[in-house]
Amino acid sequence: LSSVPLQILFYVNGIYYIFYFLATLAMIVYKSQVFSYPDDFLGPDLALLFIMAILEVLRLSLAFCFLRGSKGNLTEEEAPLGLSLVITVGSVILSVYFLVWQTYVLKADVIINAVLLFTYGLESVLKVIAIAAFV
Amino acid sequence: VAKLCVCDLLVAQCDVNCCCDPDCSAADFSLFTTCSVPIVTGDNRLCSQKAAIYSLDVEANPPERIFKLIDQVNPSVFCIHATNYKQAVSFSSPEMPTSENFDRLLKQFGSASFSAEPDSWNMNTDAQNPSDANETYRYEYGVPIQTVDAFLRLPSPVVSSWCSDANPAGFLVNQATKCIRSVSVEKCGNVQAVSMLFYINSSILAVPKSSQMVNITVQSIAVQSLNGMRTLLNGSDVLRLPMILDELCINIVLGVSYHITYTDAGEIIEAAASFALGAINKEALSIQQRFEISFTQVNTKPVPLSGNPGYVVGLPIRAGFRPQGYPFPVEILFAPINTNKYSQLTILQSTSNQDCLAAQGARTPILFGYNMISGCKLRITAAMKCQPLTQTLLDLLKGQSFPEYVASFGNSQAQDVLDWVPVTHFHTSEQRIYNTFQSSCQIPVSLEIEVKWTKYGSLVNPQARIVNVTAAITTATLKQLPSGRERTIPITSSVVFTDISSPAEPGYKAWPTINAKLPFDFFFPFV
Repeated sequence: LSSVPLQILFYVNGIYYIFYFLATLAMIVYKSQVFSYPDDFLGPDLALLFIMAILEVLRLSLAFCFLRGSKGNLTEEEAPLGLSLVITVGSVILSVYFLVWQTYVLKADVIINAVLLFTYGLESVLKVIAIAAFV
Repeated sequence: VAKLCVCDLLVAQCDVNCCCDPDCSAADFSLFTTCSVPIVTGDNRLCSQKAAIYSLDVEANPPERIFKLIDQVNPSVFCIHATNYKQAVSFSSPEMPTSENFDRLLKQFGSASFSAEPDSWNMNTDAQNPSDANETYRYEYGVPIQTVDAFLRLPSPVVSSWCSDANPAGFLVNQATKCIRSVSVEKCGNVQAVSMLFYINSSILAVPKSSQMVNITVQSIAVQSLNGMRTLLNGSDVLRLPMILDELCINIVLGVSYHITYTDAGEIIEAAASFALGAINKEALSIQQRFEISFTQVNTKPVPLSGNPGYVVGLPIRAGFRPQGYPFPVEILFAPINTNKYSQLTILQSTSNQDCLAAQGARTPILFGYNMISGCKLRITAAMKCQPLTQTLLDLLKGQSFPEYVASFGNSQAQDVLDWVPVTHFHTSEQRIYNTFQSSCQIPVSLEIEVKWTKYGSLVNPQARIVNVTAAITTATLKQLPSGRERTIPITSSVVFTDISSPAEPGYKAWPTINAKLPFDFFFPFV
């Protein structure tokens, strides 16, 4: 199985995530100015956004590491991909948080989170197929 | 939303033109011209909310009201799809206090202000009442001086001239009062207020509400006899109480003078009282008592102030000398050896006989704000020599020790060097044309002191501050007289006060600036 679709998807995911992060951050700023957004609620939202960014960076770097070939000895090449899949679960949960449990969910939030979830779903399917090809 | 009606003001009555009023019947609706409230919606920032639309159908006959309940959609992409924060889109009804939550509600809302944020945001409620127990107290101006039982009393006349013992002495308030006390020989030992013990009995507290006490010591006792003659007693340790002696009541307090020494931290460290005792005979029914209190800062010599801080018109100008070897560190004070013992600037005082040489050095202090001129006539005979005459006239005009420095404020302390203004001296000659015979004698004939002062401080309460003092001596030529003749020349000295204050300039407020900042705790968990 060629991993070209997966590779393309990773690139698209990376670029889209940058857009997603900036958009969500900007919308949180907008919400804090326009609505009543006390710090008790603002804090967790921002924290989760940054955690999600870190997870995403980790996940994508693991995935690219798989694509470029393993460094060092012949380690199990599905290991980085598997780890990436696990981290994807975390990202999915966070995305669902931003879709449903955020303090203010705007329509724009719904749209970009839905797209992100769709991307994650597609990616997960392709990763599972790629892992299955090794095993 | 269907039940909300903003224009329904009258209860159980139909409001005019209010289409949502449930009290109106169809017949009422037909009389309306328009609907004052066409639409009632929820928060329109939500993506979809219910809206009730009221309108009048004027085409129909009779006009009838149309009521529609629809879902209004906010087309913006930033509409609120959902919110997990209950207070965002609706007003919360406040909690009813019950016995369980009363303490919590009191803690949250019981102070003068409370924030609308949830409970955890109460950083400042604990900092509102610092414990007063450890606060250091000190006396401030005007605060009554506390003693062990009450206050330090300075009896003074209230309403009438009779003494009232309820007047407390205020800190740093120099007072002098006199009042009449009724006393007779029979009640000699009974009236407390004429006995020395009454005034030195209770000790003064060093700082308010403390336990540190300062005893009042007896500084001096002067005994006044019946005919008014006062003698100072040598030993002042003995307490002299009123007693009857030969049909007189002696050792009655006629006057008390308190001298309190304080530090600049507002603490009283010493208190002394000087008494004037007297005697009364059988006919006397009342005596007049005088009381005064004065405050001196520790380690300073008490100098009467001429204003605090600016000079007060009518009070003498303070002056002094710089000690030898200045500049040295501040421990060396300005020596108070001045023109007169009160360290004031003085001017020649005109006497009735107007003879300069017989004037005996009478001088009067220069009072701030009062221009003065004085003078005398000098009789010159042929026998007078130039040099001693010049020296005598200089002494006459300037006085024995003319000061070098003048205090720029009325309360300038001797330690503050920058508060003292040097006196500049000028010499001018009366004659403009210099003749070749310079050896002719020049004698000083007039001294003009010009004091330039300015208003200093706030516009509401300007203080007078001396900026510049110049002393100009004008000399004239003394022509040699043929023997036997004599001449009289006038010698004058004057003081002029000039106000050189610059007019106040208006100040304008700064332009308002746009304050565009993120809230300071925007990055709360990370900062």
